[in-house]
Amino acid sequence: MSPAHRSIRKILIANRGEIALRILRACRELGIATVAVYSDVDRAALHVLEADEVYRLGPAPATESYLRGDLIIDVAKKSGAQAIHPGYGFLSENASFAEACENAGIKFIGPPASAMRALGSKTLARQAADAAGMPRTPGSVKGLASLDEAYAVAEEIGYPVMLKAAAGGGGKGMRAVFSKSDLALAFSAAASEAERAFGSGEVYLEKLIERPRHIEIQVLADEHGNCVSLGERECSVQRRHQKVIEEAPSAVVDEDLRQRMGAAAVRLAKSAGYTNAGTVEFLVDEARNFYFLEMNTRLQVEHPVTELVTGLDLVHLQICIAQGEPLPFRQEDISLRGHAMECRVYAEDPDNGFFPSPGKITRLLQPGGPGIREDSGIYEGCVVPLDYDPMLSKLIAYAPTREAAIARLLRALDEYVIGGIRSNLGLFRRILSDADFKAARIDTGYLDRLLAESGAPAEVSSDSNAPGLIAAALFESMRMANGNGPNGNRAGSNEAQPDVSGWKSAARREGLRA
Amino acid sequence: MILQIEMEGEVRQVELVQDDGRRYRASIDGEPSLDVTVVLLRPGVLSLHIDGKAFRCVLEESAEGTVVYVGGKRLPYRVDDPRSLKSRRARHGGAEGPKPVTAPMPGRVVRVLPNVGDTVEAQQGIVVIEAMKMQNELKSPKAGKVVQLRAQAGDTVAAGDVLAVIE
Repeated sequence: MSPAHRSIRKILIANRGEIALRILRACRELGIATVAVYSDVDRAALHVLEADEVYRLGPAPATESYLRGDLIIDVAKKSGAQAIHPGYGFLSENASFAEACENAGIKFIGPPASAMRALGSKTLARQAADAAGMPRTPGSVKGLASLDEAYAVAEEIGYPVMLKAAAGGGGKGMRAVFSKSDLALAFSAAASEAERAFGSGEVYLEKLIERPRHIEIQVLADEHGNCVSLGERECSVQRRHQKVIEEAPSAVVDEDLRQRMGAAAVRLAKSAGYTNAGTVEFLVDEARNFYFLEMNTRLQVEHPVTELVTGLDLVHLQICIAQGEPLPFRQEDISLRGHAMECRVYAEDPDNGFFPSPGKITRLLQPGGPGIREDSGIYEGCVVPLDYDPMLSKLIAYAPTREAAIARLLRALDEYVIGGIRSNLGLFRRILSDADFKAARIDTGYLDRLLAESGAPAEVSSDSNAPGLIAAALFESMRMANGNGPNGNRAGSNEAQPDVSGWKSAARREGLRA
Repeated sequence: MILQIEMEGEVRQVELVQDDGRRYRASIDGEPSLDVTVVLLRPGVLSLHIDGKAFRCVLEESAEGTVVYVGGKRLPYRVDDPRSLKSRRARHGGAEGPKPVTAPMPGRVVRVLPNVGDTVEAQQGIVVIEAMKMQNELKSPKAGKVVQLRAQAGDTVAAGDVLAVIE
């Protein structure tokens, strides 16, 4: 490692939202100056308000702002940032961008471009998995050249099979095929969807694992050949292949399985010359066999659950690794303690087909107290733009046991109010109260099955609505008091003045839209 | 003060009698009254004590309507004023008269499906809008004729904007 990287004093954060703020906070803690970049709709976003230096990239669309690697490298040079942290999404897994940073003499906080290339394509990653001697799902390790080849591979491994895009992610270009007669149609649909989404129509076939759990291993590798695994995260609660709830540890992983999965993940990372933080994803079947799925060459959304059960700060460690420091611990120093669980809070309406719900957050009451961590990018009065991923925050609970972590999350959800836009907070109450979830009877199809059931029993005795009715009546009486003009002051004459003005200003504000 | 409030599909009568600044007596549907004390913590956020039980109540107003949150529960409500035309309409099913198709969220218009003058069925798609990479079809609230189209493909719309009127 070149000594120039040994002391990073300024970092450009090439991202937005909660992750930009999370990285910014880590930089502050390490005494490192921060440079934020933003698009026109993010001028008042939290990451822009909190950074030391800020630079505009361009208009709202990501292709004209957060994906403009050339502009971002220019800003890094202009501001004197020695390193760029890409967060997740946007440019984080773009090998050409990592290479452009290297060429510009700026440290990319992540793996080298070569390792990203070796693991970025799913077919290349499957070849790497074979070379590292780790189990993967049976199937092809190269793109399918023709439909005939697809038939041959499917025949060999047996139906049902999955068609997947080599460049894929997020469920695009993916099709489950249950019999030979469906393969032709699925093959052309998956290939054309992959072509549209990723600019590459390369698809491959693998055996479909029924009712799999999604379990992944966090790894950290320094630039001196040391690599450790930091235990697993279970992310089986998914909707449309997007994770909804993540937890660590997994209820089905014991110490023996954890060690075997961890060792396999470390072998893969080492074989590809991987450095910095990464995640190796596996499917685990009902017999607890694990199969390599893919490697994510970046910090993941759900990294906080690993931080809580290991007591480590992954962003601090990423920066230390990027500075050329050796890992400050060895594999045997890592131990897991307690249970952590994360809810991804989105601006979407679960009661209405998961309609996106961008707009102004008019009211925000955030949870706190023991064992609650909220990684958020929002504040009361901020506007959630319609141009990006609608994640608002991550609500994370840490407790001695899984059961206590669930109770803690439910408690925090009751404290949490996000008003003005719709959010999926209610969905978490439903999942966390579900008997199957509480018993950890989950797999990647669990949430779809839960959502297909008719809604949770909505009926409660009408008496329990008394507080709601009385609150509504009081809010309405304030509105009317305002309508009555200056003499409509309803507060008693002996009441303290601040209270009176509180009522009046509230009434004025609330009355505007009557 | 007596208010008719529609909440969770029922119209309930709430009577509030203010004893002094923060103290009220509240009675729902003529039931024995409850002792209530109220403090406004900040605009839209009330601390409510009802017969010794504590509640934090949060008011939210948006284009979709008014909602009060109590203990993690989301309760949309509407004040039912017997004198208002809107309330009478809502009570009588409200199939008569022109009905708007409104945007439930900000977004961009992708497609407008019918033309002015077309006859449409209830629940027939009228406008497709896109936000956060998801497309959503807004449907006609009733069977009738499209009398107005106020949006065209490419427009940016705000939550609550009227995009079409069906009569």
